[in-house]
Amino acid sequence: MATKSLAQMRPKERGKITKVGGSGHTHRRILDMGVVPSTEVTVERVAPLGDPIEIKIKGYHLSLRKEEAVQIYVEMIER
Amino acid sequence: MTKKLNIALVGNPNSGKTTVFNNLTGTHQYVGNWPGVTVEKKEGTCRYQDYQITVADLPGVYSLTAYSLDEIIARDFIVEEKPDVVVDIVDAGNLERNLYLTVQLLEMGARLIVALNMMDEAGGRGYRIDLEHLSYHLGTPVVPMVASRNRGTQELLGQIARIAESRVPPSGLRIDYGREVEEEIEKLEDLISQSALSRLYPARWLAVKLLEEDEEVTKKFKEGNVD
Amino acid sequence: MLTNEEILRAKDRALAHLRSIYGDDAETIIADRRYGFISGVLKDVVKKPAIERLAWSDKIDRVIVNRWLGIPIFLAVMYGMFQFTFTLSAPLMDWISAGFDFIAVRAVGISPEWLGSLIGNGIIGGVGTVLTFIPPIFLLFIAIAVLEDSGYMARAAFVMDRLMHKVGLHGRSFIPMILGFGCNIPAIMATRTIENPRDRLITILINPLMSCGARLPIYILLAGAFFPAYRGLVVFSMYLIGIILAILMALIFRKWLLPGPIGHFVMELPPYRLPTITGVLVHMWERGKHFLIKAGTIIAGVVVLVWLLSSMPWGVQYAGPDSWIGHLGRFIAPIFAPCGFGQWQAAVSLFFGFLAKETVVGTMGAIFAVKEGSLGTAIASQLSWTPLVAFAFMVFSLLYVPCVATIATIKAETNSWKWPAFTIGYELALAWIMAALIYQIGSLLGLG
Repeated sequence: MATKSLAQMRPKERGKITKVGGSGHTHRRILDMGVVPSTEVTVERVAPLGDPIEIKIKGYHLSLRKEEAVQIYVEMIER
Repeated sequence: MTKKLNIALVGNPNSGKTTVFNNLTGTHQYVGNWPGVTVEKKEGTCRYQDYQITVADLPGVYSLTAYSLDEIIARDFIVEEKPDVVVDIVDAGNLERNLYLTVQLLEMGARLIVALNMMDEAGGRGYRIDLEHLSYHLGTPVVPMVASRNRGTQELLGQIARIAESRVPPSGLRIDYGREVEEEIEKLEDLISQSALSRLYPARWLAVKLLEEDEEVTKKFKEGNVD
Repeated sequence: MLTNEEILRAKDRALAHLRSIYGDDAETIIADRRYGFISGVLKDVVKKPAIERLAWSDKIDRVIVNRWLGIPIFLAVMYGMFQFTFTLSAPLMDWISAGFDFIAVRAVGISPEWLGSLIGNGIIGGVGTVLTFIPPIFLLFIAIAVLEDSGYMARAAFVMDRLMHKVGLHGRSFIPMILGFGCNIPAIMATRTIENPRDRLITILINPLMSCGARLPIYILLAGAFFPAYRGLVVFSMYLIGIILAILMALIFRKWLLPGPIGHFVMELPPYRLPTITGVLVHMWERGKHFLIKAGTIIAGVVVLVWLLSSMPWGVQYAGPDSWIGHLGRFIAPIFAPCGFGQWQAAVSLFFGFLAKETVVGTMGAIFAVKEGSLGTAIASQLSWTPLVAFAFMVFSLLYVPCVATIATIKAETNSWKWPAFTIGYELALAWIMAALIYQIGSLLGLG
């Protein structure tokens, strides 16, 4: 199955998180917000100016910049 | 005779915590400062039966790390001021992420009540929540609420009084972190329980915080060496 | 005896051991396990419908943060917020000022003469001017509370982050900047939602450049008197100059003063909710209270002080050149000569504007002993200002030093005197340079 970073995903694509890279405050916040391995994630949309992105995870909506999303690896789920 | 109670409200941003605070205290609110920092501290008072209750409205937080001032304020208040009861306001429509804070509060050994707010919204989305099972798994009372319509406030006050009266030590949730992590926690816990800090904080909580590389807790251990 | 050092060493060993097993830091494993525990609980506790309906909040977002509509809607919301604030407040402001005029006329007649003068010229003239600004400030706070409680503010940050990022700020800096148009005090308090200390500090430092409601009376007065045909445009240009300089200073501060990456944007977009009336009113009151307290204490005190300085020594012409205030003004005035307004009356007004910007107009009113309606003409005839001078003075008023209450807020929020002192210093320099540039270049171009 195809693995890519969350930043490469397009709106409406779905996937399962495999790894959350990075360190420090941003890394911890990402984990705290529920972005942890084996969680399902859907990309909802991209902001009008092209960044940040909005994802749906654990039943709520979260936004993050693409530079933060590149650290998150996702295994794609086919529809 | 009136009995005095100190409680703290804690919860995620957007969980309706401020509304619960307003429902409880009405116009009896005042502003002070948190010890050591100049961040505003909102407090209020309310009466319930023969209780005089002081309510501290802690900053809205998602977690209890040492990365943000709000999170440090919230956890220092709970650990150091030891309020009689901590009320955790939880958005019933967003349980999974909201309970992440709840779990951390329980690990700290707080005497907790879970106020399950926005039950109407969760119901509207077709969610059915088994309150008894939730209460059983967490080992805390669970009070359903719709704070925006001031529903559940009296029930919450009733639980606060009951819990404060019972004087039963909090159960202190233990998450199973897996064999390898648990082994390390146990080793650290043994060492920590011989140190002075364990008289102030639960040893297991300190051990987990050390493994999380929490700056504040690590600093506490480093400073402890000086004296 | 076991030392803490041994515990810390044991911790390092444990972390290295866990990393060798999992290939991940313990932090990730711990967060993962906590969420794992929660998932387990929720499987037993929550029954969700087989097909989850699309919440109406999601449907709204399809439009509100839509690729094409997101920015137009954002601009429309900002425009609507200001229309709501200023259109609704205009009649209220007229009523309040008419009410104060009514009382002032009667108060001047009180004997003894000095008391009538103090109440009529001093207190009612000054405090009345300030109180007329309560309607727009409270209405703005209502608008902001509605946007916050409804969930739109998070979307505004989402829509604006890219742009803010470009100028060295965070998406969340946008909200305090908008709030600054109402009053810098709640705006600076609102920077608490910015987690990164550098982002927060930069947002605080540039906030006083956002033209607050208290500066509006200066613009309205001078634009009305000197630019009757273009008053709207001139007032708008003040806001624009403030925004442009705020962006410029943000870039400068990010580059040289507080270098470092901008904080993360890992932010919840909460579901849209209908704001409750109580919630909105409580928010409005908490923020508006600061302005009221300021108006009630500092400003009234300043106005009485101005009256006293203008009346001393006893028997001197009220606010005349021989009064104490005249001496004070003459001492400061030469500094402003390159900016075009080197008269003692201007200097005195600005001096008192340190304490609260709305007193610039109040002070002028007290000095010329006229009500607001005829103040513009009095300034034009007695100081022989040209539109160019008036414009330079407006720009100076926009930029020079935050008011004393804002300074106190910066001190409280940064927990040091260093940053309020820095803000005063850079703003004074910026104001003087801008006003001098405008006057000198304008004069060269023959605009004076």
